[in-house]
Amino acid sequence: MQADRRRANAPAGGTAPPFFATIPRESLKRPTRTRKPDEHRKIFLRTGVVPSASGSAYYEVPPESDHTSDGLLIPSSSSLKITCTVHGPRPLPRNAQFSPNLLLTTNVKFAPFATRQRRGYVRDASERDLGVHLETALRGVVIADRWPKSACDVVITILEGEEDCFWGSAPQGSDASKGKAGGWGMMGVLAGCITVASAAIVDAGIDCVDLISGGVAAKTTSLGAATDGGALILLDPAPAEHDISAACVVGYLPSRDELTEIWMKGGVGGHSEALIDGAVRSATLASTVLAEAVKEAAQSRLGVSGGDDAANGALKGKDTAMTG
Amino acid sequence: MAITILAPAPAAPPPSQHHLEDVTSDDEDEGEAMDIDSLPSHRSTTVITPGEKITDDVQWMRGHGTYIAPIDEVTIRSTLAGTLQKTNKLLSVVPLRARYNPEIGDLVIGRVVEVQSRRWKVDVAAPLLANLPLSSINLPGGTLRRRTSVDELNIRSFFCEGELIVAEVQSLFQDGSASLHTRSLKYGKLRNGYFLSVIGQGGGAGVVRSKRQIFTLQTARRSGGELQITLGVNGYIWIAKHAEDAEMEKEVGINRLEEQASSAMYSSQNDDIGPDTRREIARVAGCIRALMQGGVKVDEETVRRAYDACVELDEVEGEVQYLGGERGDAIVEIVLRGS
Amino acid sequence: MAPYANLPLSPAELSYLYSSLAQDPPIRPDGRSATQFRPLIAESNILPSANGSARICFIDGTEAVVGVKAEVEQTHENHLVAQNDTRDGERTGRPDPSSAGSWFEISIEIPGLRDDDALPVFLAAMLTEALLGDGELTLKLRINNRFHWRLYIDVLLLSQPLSYPLPLLSLTTHLSLLSTRLPALISEGDEDPLFSDDWEASTFLYTQPNSNAAGKLHQSKPPITLLVISAGENIIFDPSRDELAVAEAVVAISIRQNLLGHMEVVALRTIDAPSRLTASGVPRSLDATTGTNASVSNADAQALREEDEGQSVWRPPRGGINRAKLSQMMATATMENGIGQEVMGGLAGVQGS
Repeated sequence: MQADRRRANAPAGGTAPPFFATIPRESLKRPTRTRKPDEHRKIFLRTGVVPSASGSAYYEVPPESDHTSDGLLIPSSSSLKITCTVHGPRPLPRNAQFSPNLLLTTNVKFAPFATRQRRGYVRDASERDLGVHLETALRGVVIADRWPKSACDVVITILEGEEDCFWGSAPQGSDASKGKAGGWGMMGVLAGCITVASAAIVDAGIDCVDLISGGVAAKTTSLGAATDGGALILLDPAPAEHDISAACVVGYLPSRDELTEIWMKGGVGGHSEALIDGAVRSATLASTVLAEAVKEAAQSRLGVSGGDDAANGALKGKDTAMTG
Repeated sequence: MAITILAPAPAAPPPSQHHLEDVTSDDEDEGEAMDIDSLPSHRSTTVITPGEKITDDVQWMRGHGTYIAPIDEVTIRSTLAGTLQKTNKLLSVVPLRARYNPEIGDLVIGRVVEVQSRRWKVDVAAPLLANLPLSSINLPGGTLRRRTSVDELNIRSFFCEGELIVAEVQSLFQDGSASLHTRSLKYGKLRNGYFLSVIGQGGGAGVVRSKRQIFTLQTARRSGGELQITLGVNGYIWIAKHAEDAEMEKEVGINRLEEQASSAMYSSQNDDIGPDTRREIARVAGCIRALMQGGVKVDEETVRRAYDACVELDEVEGEVQYLGGERGDAIVEIVLRGS
Repeated sequence: MAPYANLPLSPAELSYLYSSLAQDPPIRPDGRSATQFRPLIAESNILPSANGSARICFIDGTEAVVGVKAEVEQTHENHLVAQNDTRDGERTGRPDPSSAGSWFEISIEIPGLRDDDALPVFLAAMLTEALLGDGELTLKLRINNRFHWRLYIDVLLLSQPLSYPLPLLSLTTHLSLLSTRLPALISEGDEDPLFSDDWEASTFLYTQPNSNAAGKLHQSKPPITLLVISAGENIIFDPSRDELAVAEAVVAISIRQNLLGHMEVVALRTIDAPSRLTASGVPRSLDATTGTNASVSNADAQALREEDEGQSVWRPPRGGINRAKLSQMMATATMENGIGQEVMGGLAGVQGS
């Protein structure tokens, strides 16, 4: 996309990149999906991982199959690891304009080592784009008028990002073969970002109308299997496993049945509604994990405040659940 | 048709001076020559450009929009593109498209930009923000009372950022910025209506200072009721449902009236407005927008005429809701014809 | 231009605008119907030094110019794809969509904004993904197995945006792509490309409708992006700045015409609704300035405000958009003889200068 215009850039195409010997195609085995089309990968989610932040969460989606066995330098599938910290609500700086609402800012950054091709420290266009998406998703959930004159920063670091497609089948020299995210992988990353940010915001104790969760669904052109009106709609696609032709991410509020964020692209054809429904189903699956994680964190906190007696703490947690 | 796409047209010729004068002002003369002695005592219609020599006669004094060239220290030259105005021995140049410069007594509409500890900063489309001190508003609670520290703490409950107020320019500071006041029942916060601005867009000529800036307009539709139109001298316009005063008249004592007025004065809750009234508000706004795009100055006369023209056209050619494009041009033409 | 263009509207204004738009049928502040667009002035083919160009001007004075330039570029040698394709017996496989994304570049220049601001980045990303769609543009850009055209689409907004500039930029881009012509290819096969220098012989990137003599197959057209908002039960197209300020949800829908002449959605995004940043009004029953209610405690006031639910005064909307309304938006935009087709039809009729 756009080059960094404020620095002197190296000339384009000045040097020849190293060229690695091609691995014989036959020896490469593309990972296959072993779960059902409407099944989500396992999610690990925990809140309160960063003690110094007012709220934080960690999210991980491990790859379905263990890739260490195939003996290749580059793993054939990727996992997703995201951390999120929330700072605030805190007062606006003195020179800032008055705001009747909570000012939410989001900052999404891939760690330099998150993808196979190293990422720079300056946020690039795709990271900014993710930030805007996340902000749109969260703004609708947070009850901003409860916190006038204050600001809140949501900082997300992606420790390991999902790939756009299977690197083995991508043409050499293209962006995808270098492991640079920017296409379908970004959709999965955004869904993870929404879920983890939601957990962190709840952890920070900021009023929300609902627990928002992110979900992604994709349309593939692969033949066979159960089809949904001609095309296969898959929940939670791992880009390495499928040939994706269109995908959709939503930020979904389960109790209100509303969407605060939709991002759909690709050759959707006439399947846009099926795709959105699929993404919503995927988000519903993620929201069960999210609710569990939030409850777990609240209960463990109650247990600590109630003393060392675990049984006492559990009882106390139950009590509050009943009265509140 | 969902969309109208027009071909680009060459810039329209300036509307003929003759027509404009018929409509907008009746006190302008047809002075042509640059001969200053024969100039009419008001304004000439010849346009002069920056740097142009106005006179080297020493009997004249230089005013706004002019300077004395350092070469000979007598020649008065223009610094603006505009028309020459002569007041006794004072020569000044009035720019053709001026920004608003506040003058004492102007009725203006402004938007609160900033709330400070004892005053508000208000955007009135002037180069500088206007001031509205806490001491210049009618404080609630009956008779004119002194402001207290409680009022200072509650300053945001009177006017908040973004809110629209109608006020009068009370005085001017040395730097030309205005100090406003709202110490009258007709000033204060604006509600029940729609805001539009006729500055800065198109070839708009802005709002004319006239005897009456606030007037009521009886709408053509029966259920539309009356509209109250406030033309701020600064080019901001507020079109609202006319408040029914019947309720207030029923109140007994004069003190009660004061109480009643102040309770509504700082409210941001709108009254119930019927769909017909809303449609009429949109129609008046459309008329004013058409006037602005046609380069006609906005005052009570032209607004009334445009509204009548709009109603008439609706009867003759069928009703059109959107007053952009051709229908707008037709309205402007009727207004300019002055029929 | 007023110096404080981004100032929020007052709660009373917001409440009036929202309740007008939520009426049935909606009453828009400029009297348009829910699906009516503002009139615009358009011309194409205005820049002689570009392969395609267009200018669109809204009646409120916002104006955009788009120039499309094409350059020949060598395609990356991709052994893997070539191998694969020869095995299948055809070498003219589809370009890989992930690499084809770099075959064209959109840059957006908005006065007063730095080029790394969020808005131009977001707008460029949105236009790019609409154009990428299902990879049809990249098929058109392919010259042979070794070379392709690289398209530079430069979007220039000439004035400060008075409302969200996306539809303006998208329509202008559409128009410029319609007028884009590429020199005719003389060489054959995979040899270095050689082009005819006769501009008359050049071919349109997107075939013009009048040259479609067969009439059987509709020609595909570049996508357009429409802005849709929801207010109450209504959905409203082409919102002005005032209308955007009270929208509950803002959605950008990119649609294109496929080879069968039908409209289809190629991309969809929600856009942050500016209404979420507005200040809420104070119901009259709670107004501290009336003196009588000064004793209402903070907690009580909040409870009362929640109860009011934005009925009598403005309150920034919460939550999002439900799926039924979203489907309705997409259906209205892609309907046969609907908004999408009318807008594209209107733009197809624009004369070059």
